[in-house]
Order: sequence, then structure tokens, then C-alpha cells
Amino acid sequence: MPTTQIAVTAMVNGLAVGLLLFIIAAGLSLIFGMMDVLNLAHGSLFLTGAYLAWWLGGEQQTWPSLARAVVAVIVVGAAAGGLLSLMTAPLSRRSHLEQALLTLGIALVAADILSALFGDDVHATEPPPGLGGTVVIAGWTYPRYRLVLIGVAALITVGVYWTIERTSMGALFRATVSDRDMVATTGVDPRLVRVGVFVLGSVLATVAGLLGAPIYHARPGLDTTILVLALVVVVVGGLGSIRGPLVAALLFGQIESVGRAVLPGLASFLLFGTLAAVLAVRPRGLFVLTSGARR
Amino acid sequence: MAGINRRALLGIAAGLGAAGIAGCGNSLDAAAARSDDNAIKVGLVIPQAGVYTPLGLDIQRGWDLWLRQHDGKLGGRRVTTVVADEGEGPQTGVPAVQKLLQNDQVDVLVGIVSSATALGVRDLVTSARKLLLIANAGAGAITTGNSSPYIWRTSFTNAQVAAAMGAHLAGSDVRRAYAIAPDYVAGTEAINGFSKAYRAGGGTIAGQSQPPFGKTQDYQPFLSRIQSSGAQGTFCFFGGAESVAFVKQYSQFGVSRTIPLYASGFLVEGGVLKAQGDAADGILSTLHYTSELDNPANTAFAQAFRSAYGAAPTVYAVQAWDAAAVLSRAVAQVNAVDGDRLSKALKGVGVISDSPRGPWSFVQQSPRQNFYLRRVQTNAGERVNAVIKDLGPLDPQS
Repeated sequence: MPTTQIAVTAMVNGLAVGLLLFIIAAGLSLIFGMMDVLNLAHGSLFLTGAYLAWWLGGEQQTWPSLARAVVAVIVVGAAAGGLLSLMTAPLSRRSHLEQALLTLGIALVAADILSALFGDDVHATEPPPGLGGTVVIAGWTYPRYRLVLIGVAALITVGVYWTIERTSMGALFRATVSDRDMVATTGVDPRLVRVGVFVLGSVLATVAGLLGAPIYHARPGLDTTILVLALVVVVVGGLGSIRGPLVAALLFGQIESVGRAVLPGLASFLLFGTLAAVLAVRPRGLFVLTSGARR
Repeated sequence: MAGINRRALLGIAAGLGAAGIAGCGNSLDAAAARSDDNAIKVGLVIPQAGVYTPLGLDIQRGWDLWLRQHDGKLGGRRVTTVVADEGEGPQTGVPAVQKLLQNDQVDVLVGIVSSATALGVRDLVTSARKLLLIANAGAGAITTGNSSPYIWRTSFTNAQVAAAMGAHLAGSDVRRAYAIAPDYVAGTEAINGFSKAYRAGGGTIAGQSQPPFGKTQDYQPFLSRIQSSGAQGTFCFFGGAESVAFVKQYSQFGVSRTIPLYASGFLVEGGVLKAQGDAADGILSTLHYTSELDNPANTAFAQAFRSAYGAAPTVYAVQAWDAAAVLSRAVAQVNAVDGDRLSKALKGVGVISDSPRGPWSFVQQSPRQNFYLRRVQTNAGERVNAVIKDLGPLDPQS
């Protein structure tokens, strides 16, 4: 296989992985940056979405089964977000450590529940007809689903960015962070805004689980893996912004993909080496927070 | 992060549980033992939590099925089985074995999936002078070098399984092969076992990779290296979730179309085969068992297993079944079930001719057994590893 084709594969793949990573990290960043809650149960939401994709979508998805799975992950994600918002509300004025302990506990319970419901076997799901298989362009081969993933994930990314930065709902989210009381005087209950952010962030995580299911395969332990990746992206990107995690996620996609192909011997160190390097130079992340709460 | 904490929490919970049971358990056990001097107590150490849970379940099924078919007796003695959770590695497996030896006072230990755990309990078992029959762990060092006279295995060595493929592939028209396996002991042993046998047969290794174990989600960078290496075939060793990811991506990136995949049989054994779906079709692998073996012992075993559990038997279940079978023979020959007498008895069991895997015997406390070339295909609507060829017997230290 010619070198150019290898390079193209690596970069396209980095884009697919990076965009998926952004959708996961965006929810974590929203909830942390806007509501100041460190949600360590975020990976469990992703895994829940992946299990739902397999359970309702089937090992071989069809268009109707995929539609059912899409509805299910949105409903379950929204419900889980609402529940998480309620559960963390009493600790909202307490330290991050206490929130981390609570959400970690939730993550542990969720992992055991998922394990009890779906067993410990790996559950893989294949995308519906037309989206699976391999594309061949002038001798260059690539999984079709990952190209589809790039398109869908790019749409979601634009949607999230636009919602937060350009709509009145996004403005409300940002205003609540800056001045809760002022928002209250306009007749909007800040507690509802809080629930709204949790619901949006959680739905993003379960949708990412659905999108990632054909690549990552639902299995015990995936929740932790994904949580760590998302935390790295959020920390490097800068807490509370949307632009930061996007740049960091795309960067990590390329590091995972191109970096490993070029420097296989250093594969284990690339990701966290970059994390360390970024934090050494910019301890607050690549992008200084613009709309998040400061403490 | 969460994993470490979960394990720590489970550890604390297990510790509290063990302490609670230990207080009252011993007197009850002593009473039970008095009532039946002939009974023997077996500690079954299997993963009940974590990534190896499906293997642990299969081992327990194989063990239970043998006992059920033999009136719950080994060598004429009634058996009490105490199950302990091995978890994912030595940090949970070693305390589990310690508890079985000290609190439960078991006579014999059976099980252990992880090689690290097996190596971690070597000194415990040796100083307790108890027999440990390993039903899976495949690290070569367990039964070579500084090994314990009390540790035997009914499973395989990593190098042995891979060497079977190396020797077979060297005799085919695949002259250049790429080798890939995760970067930990079993992966390294598999690559070495394969490469040695493949080179000895005249093959050339076109390149090799060892992706980080347990941390690799995406094999695309390694797939690109395989494609540019000029190999005519790829040998691989992966297990569990990694085998699903690798097989699917190998097919999704179109590599399988030009460079066929050859493997240590664990890649396509048990629950993972179902998850791999049609990406696994046509994969050739070597292993010392497949549910499709056509011999009277396996026909009876596979049928009983299916009717008991509604699933096809796996190599892990057979390894536990055979552990019960050889232990039964050893127990029948001794007056007291201590480690020294049982080890001596195992030395004399000779050829086990009624195993579902075919005839095998102990060489250096590990099986010398036949290997089979298997191909993934669909029989009667179910994906299975069909037998293509009997590759003949191989020594464990091949």
C-alpha cells in the first residue's frame, strides 16, 4: 500500500475518532463548565447508549431498529440527565471532591447494573444496510461507517456549537453561569436551566454511545476508558468552553491515529505525553475559559 | 480511574465478607468433615467479575457438568466445591487462593484464568503443599524453570498453540507472514512460539507489532503497517474484547480481502465469535479443541453441555472437565488427598484417551495434545469453528 494512502487513512481515521470524542467530551465540558459539576458518571452514559444500540438496534441494525435505538438513547439520556441533575443538586455548592465521590459512586452502581442487565460478553453491532462494509476509491480502502460517522458527528458538532454560542437557549445557559440571580429576575427558574444543561450533556453522551457502538463495541470497562479520554480532552481543551474540547478532540484523534502509525514504539505514551506537555505550558488548557464558572 | 476505585471497593467488600464468614465458617466445615471423612473439598478459583468473567463461567460449567454426571464424586469421594473470585489479576486472585487455603482448608485447588495470578500463587500453593490444577492460564513459566511440583495444568501453553499455526503456515504457500499480539506476556509468548515454528519451516516474518494491551481501541495504525509490509498472511493472538475489535477492524479496513488472517484459536473461541459476526468468516485458527470435533467423547460431552446450558461448549469448559477427569483418576489412587500423593498419582495417569479434545498426556506437568486447524463457518445457522485438519500432537514446550 502506497505511503500516501496510509497517510490519508490515518488522517481520515483521526478525524472520525476525534469528532466522536468531541461529542462525548462536549457534554462533560458543558456540565462541568456551566453547572460546575464534575460528572464522573459521564462514561456510564456513553456505555448505556452503546448497550441500547445493540439491544434495540440488534447485532445487524436495520433502519427501523436503528430508529428505535435513536429514540431510546435520546429518551434514556434525557431521563438520566434529569436524574443526575436532581442527585447532584444538593452538592452543587460543595467542593468538586464531594461531587466527584458522588458521581463516581453513581458510575460504579451503573456499571454493575449494566453488567447485570447485559452480561459480561462483548456486544457488537453492525450498522444498517448501506452504511456497513468498505469503500474503495482508486485502490484506497476505508470502512464506510466511519465516513458516515464523520458526517453525522460533524452535523452534531455544528449543532452543539450553534446552540451554545448563537441561540437564546445557549445565551440563557451562559447567563445562568455568570449571574444566576439576574436570570431569576427575568422570570426563568435557574434550576430548570441546570436540568436543561444536564439533559443536553447526557443526551450527547448516550448518542455518542450509539454512534460509537459499531466501532467500540459495548462491553464492561468501556465506561472508564471513555471517561478518561473525555476528561483528558476537557482538561487539555480548557474547562467550560466548547471550542477548546473541539480542538483538543481533533488533536487527540490525530495523535491516536497518525502518531501511532508513525511512532508505534511510543504508542502508549503519546496521549498522556501530550496531556503532560500541554499542561506544563498552559496549565488551564489550550483555551482559557470564556463562559464557565470560575472558582 | 474509576476502575481502580471499583476494584478497591470490591476488595474491601470481599475482605469484610471473608472476615465475616471466617468466624463461623470453620466450625461448620469441621462438623461437616467429621460426618464424612471420605469427602474432599475443592477450591474452584475463577473470575466472577471483570473482563474474564465469561471464561470463568465456562470453567464452572465444565466442572459442574462433570460432577453432575459422576454423582458429585471424584475418585469415589464426595466433593464439596467452594468457589472463589479470581477477579482480573493477582491483586484479587492471590487473596482468593489464600482464603481457600487458610479459611476453607480446601484439599485441592482448580481453576485460574490469568497467568499473572497463577504465577502469583505459586509460592502459596507450594508452601501449603496443596495440588493446583490450572484450567486455563497459559504462561510457559508456570510449568517450566522455577516451577512448583504441585502445579499442573490441563490447558495449554501460549507458545504451543501459536507454534501449531506456525508449523502449519510454513507448510502452506504463505511465505511471508506478519505477527501481531498485545504487548504483554501471553502476546509475546504467542509471537515467539509462532515465529520460531514458522521460521523453522522456512517462512519469513515480514514484520511484527505489539499494540498496548487493554488500551488499544483502534487498530488502524497497525493495520496500515501490515498492509505495507508485503506479508501474504497475518498471524494474530488476541482475546476477549480486543479480539472482537481486531477482527472487525481487520475486515472493515479491507485488509482481510488481500491478506488472510490466521490465529491462535482463542481469537474466535466462545462468546467473542458471536460478537464478531461475519467479520470472522473464513478465519483459520489452531487450538486443541473445537465444539465440532467428531469423536465419541466429544459428541456425548457437547450434547450434554448444550442440553444443560443451551450453548456450545468451549475450550475453557473442556479444560475444566478434563481437570475433574484427571483429578478423579488421581484421587482414586491415593489414601489421603495431599499435594505430594496427588502429584505423584498425576505423574502416572498416562494417556487420557476419553477426553472431548482427543487423547492427551502430561509432559512436564502440562498437556502434550493434538492441535486442530479450524475454520470459522456457519453450520446449521450457527457460527462455529469447523475442523479442517488434525495437525497431530505437540509438546507443551514447543
